[in-house]
Amino acid sequence: MIQVKNLVGGYSDQPIIQGVDLTIHKGEFFGLLGPNGSGKTTLFKLITGGLPKKHGEITIDGKPISKLSNLEKARQMAVLTQEAHVSFDFTVEEIVSLGRYAFQKGVLKSLSKSDRAVIEEVMELADVTRYRHKQFRTISGGEKQRVLLAKALAQEPQLLLLDEPTNHLDVKHSFYMLDLLKNWQRKHGLTIFAILHDLNVASLYADRVALLDEGRFQKVGSVDVLRNEKQLQDVYEVEVKAQSHPIVPKPQLLMTPHNEGVAQSVDLKNSFHIDQNEGVIHIAFDQPLRTLSNSVVGEGIQWLKHFCNFHVQKNYDGGDPVDDIQSWLRHSGISLEQTAGMMTAVKLDDMVLLEREYEGIQLVVMVTAGVGNAVDITNEQRDENMSKIGTINTMLFVDAHFTDGALVNASISATEAKTKALHDLKVKDSYSNTPATGTSTDSLLIGATQIGEKTPYAGSGTVVGKAIGRTVYEATVEAIRKYRVRQELS
Amino acid sequence: MPNSFIRRSLSNRIFWVYLFSGGFVLGTVLLGLFMSSVTIPVPHIFYIITDQVFGLQLAENVPENEQRIIWNIRLPRVLLALCVGASLAIAGAAFQGLLRNPLADPYTIGVSSGAALGAVIVIFFQLTILGLGGFTLPVVSIIGGFIALMLVFGLVRIASRSMAIETIILAGIIMSSFIGAIISLIIALGDQDAMTQIIYWLYGSVGMRGWSHVQLIVPFMLIGVFILLIHFRELNAMALGEEAAEHIGVNVKRGKNFILVGASLLTGASVAVSGTIGFVGLVIPHLVRLITGPNHRHVLPLSFLIGGGFLILADVVSRTIIAPKELPIGVITALIGAPVFALLLIRNRLGKGKSI
Repeated sequence: MIQVKNLVGGYSDQPIIQGVDLTIHKGEFFGLLGPNGSGKTTLFKLITGGLPKKHGEITIDGKPISKLSNLEKARQMAVLTQEAHVSFDFTVEEIVSLGRYAFQKGVLKSLSKSDRAVIEEVMELADVTRYRHKQFRTISGGEKQRVLLAKALAQEPQLLLLDEPTNHLDVKHSFYMLDLLKNWQRKHGLTIFAILHDLNVASLYADRVALLDEGRFQKVGSVDVLRNEKQLQDVYEVEVKAQSHPIVPKPQLLMTPHNEGVAQSVDLKNSFHIDQNEGVIHIAFDQPLRTLSNSVVGEGIQWLKHFCNFHVQKNYDGGDPVDDIQSWLRHSGISLEQTAGMMTAVKLDDMVLLEREYEGIQLVVMVTAGVGNAVDITNEQRDENMSKIGTINTMLFVDAHFTDGALVNASISATEAKTKALHDLKVKDSYSNTPATGTSTDSLLIGATQIGEKTPYAGSGTVVGKAIGRTVYEATVEAIRKYRVRQELS
Repeated sequence: MPNSFIRRSLSNRIFWVYLFSGGFVLGTVLLGLFMSSVTIPVPHIFYIITDQVFGLQLAENVPENEQRIIWNIRLPRVLLALCVGASLAIAGAAFQGLLRNPLADPYTIGVSSGAALGAVIVIFFQLTILGLGGFTLPVVSIIGGFIALMLVFGLVRIASRSMAIETIILAGIIMSSFIGAIISLIIALGDQDAMTQIIYWLYGSVGMRGWSHVQLIVPFMLIGVFILLIHFRELNAMALGEEAAEHIGVNVKRGKNFILVGASLLTGASVAVSGTIGFVGLVIPHLVRLITGPNHRHVLPLSFLIGGGFLILADVVSRTIIAPKELPIGVITALIGAPVFALLLIRNRLGKGKSI
């Protein structure tokens, strides 16, 4: 669709764009990224013809763009820039109608029937038909931008050029607008070339992106370009972490403020306190911990301060555990957003809390264990009528700085230690009568202070891995012992 | 279908507006012929005009002096007022649209003063350019106006990159003051007689001009109006700004040049025949936009009609209000126009206020 070859150009003698090659394919959404002053708008204006080029060639469908008149260009491509000022009190409909300028024929240059049909369609699409008779000046910023988009689409362009089209818009209006564009792109095979200042938005909507820095492309390719943290950091000079969007298979970027320095060391043992009663064990830390867990509330990777283990009756039907825990939290006045919550039928009095230190690494572990429901995960037989009670809940807090991978390593280490404890205590799967590896509803939470040197390892080959293993093993053994004592007493 | 209903009612409304405007022009023409120190019955006026235009011999019973008054004095005066008012109003509408500036008009942006200087030079030095003959006056006037316009634009471009509304007006005022000084200098060099004549002319008047002046303005008016009318879509597009106008396919540079030439033709020719009459180009397009909205398809022709009628009315007032003396017509338009200009300025400053 568009071919740019060795393009050089800019405002003064010192060209801002210094040799850019670019191919934009028909029907794709191409995002142009780069920090302020990188030359995005200059490149944009070189393509729209707003600035004269010094060297190089820009062709659209094989024809040099400089040979096209404004009228010919307007029939092929439309341009939408940041919010524009419209003078006089033109109505929304009149503004949209201006998009048909290049198509009007005859002496009177009035709108034909087909012109009107196009105007109706794009107004409907951009959802501005409602205020067609309103004055453009009086509508909101989001509405204005939609009107200008409708005007651009009224040109029935094959190519749409956008310069930060969502710059002044809030999230709702930005996404509405981009969704609309994306639909139009898919439906009509529209080619879109857009300057986008928001990297995450670009990642979600663009098919391909180019990263412009100091007038040159640093990278052109699929949105996975945005997974290159190092490059983004070099270009934007901001600490960037690339993650995957939880629902869409696209990268999303998280920026770290410069002033968010490394915290001082912390004394893990003295940085929390426990409230315990019959209903709940509530461990509250002074500062949030980086957590990985499968708890009922606060699952996944989080930053959390409160860790709760709720007691439920043996006949708890498990109707909606998340709802229940949330209402209990609300009742206890604990922040929902900063809490991981587990549940267990085990008597909370039998909780084991250990504080250990191995080679300078402090650990705190809390275990409640019941093994009435122990299962051998390797045995093919499965008890359909398995009772839901009896579970091992483990909360492990480590004074370490873990990567996401290290959190997974730590959870493997803790699980291995738990399984070893069950093995050593000869806990059996009552259904298959083979050694159990866990219970059917075990919960595990790893919490790290993220202080000290960052490590990607927390497996059995590391000091911290061993420390986790030994502490969890010790606590689990003690908890199961307490459980058995209570079983025998009753 | 409600949409087509609205459209039909809208176009109906526009139809009535045109009808009213046409009636307004006709009414003011008749009023201008009728109102004066010597009252001539309406049928007589009718007879005289049909007689002269179609040669119907209806005016045989009408006294000779009445025929002379109507045909040689009043009709050219009314027609001249019509042409000047119409030209200034449509030129004002075009300047406003092109500059995206509701405060622009030939007078406020300095074009009138440039044209006046041109005219003063021709009148004072009794110039005649070879080949132009009697048309020397309007041609030099038009050129003077165009040069003033270019100087104002140059000044604005140096002062600020954006064609800010107030900057253009300010540059226009600077230009007007400067040219005013030059004109004063020329007057001061002349004798008492020439001085009174030029000063009175500068105030603006359509009286005592005769058919020759109507002939001077008509060709330029027709060309200028034609140029502006065929560029109504470009003027509409300019509301988006020059860059956005290019993006919808407008050849901005060409359109701009045509519109500036057209508006300068109209302004220069008007000033040449009637002196500087201010604010017609400011007030009339504004009034029209209030009724029809800003679409230049209607703003231009309606400004033309209403402007013409308005100036005839202003002329009637100017020669009846302190009869038997006459007030310069520019005084009347300024008395009406300057307060409106102030109002627009205030509204424009107040948060880009109401409908302008």
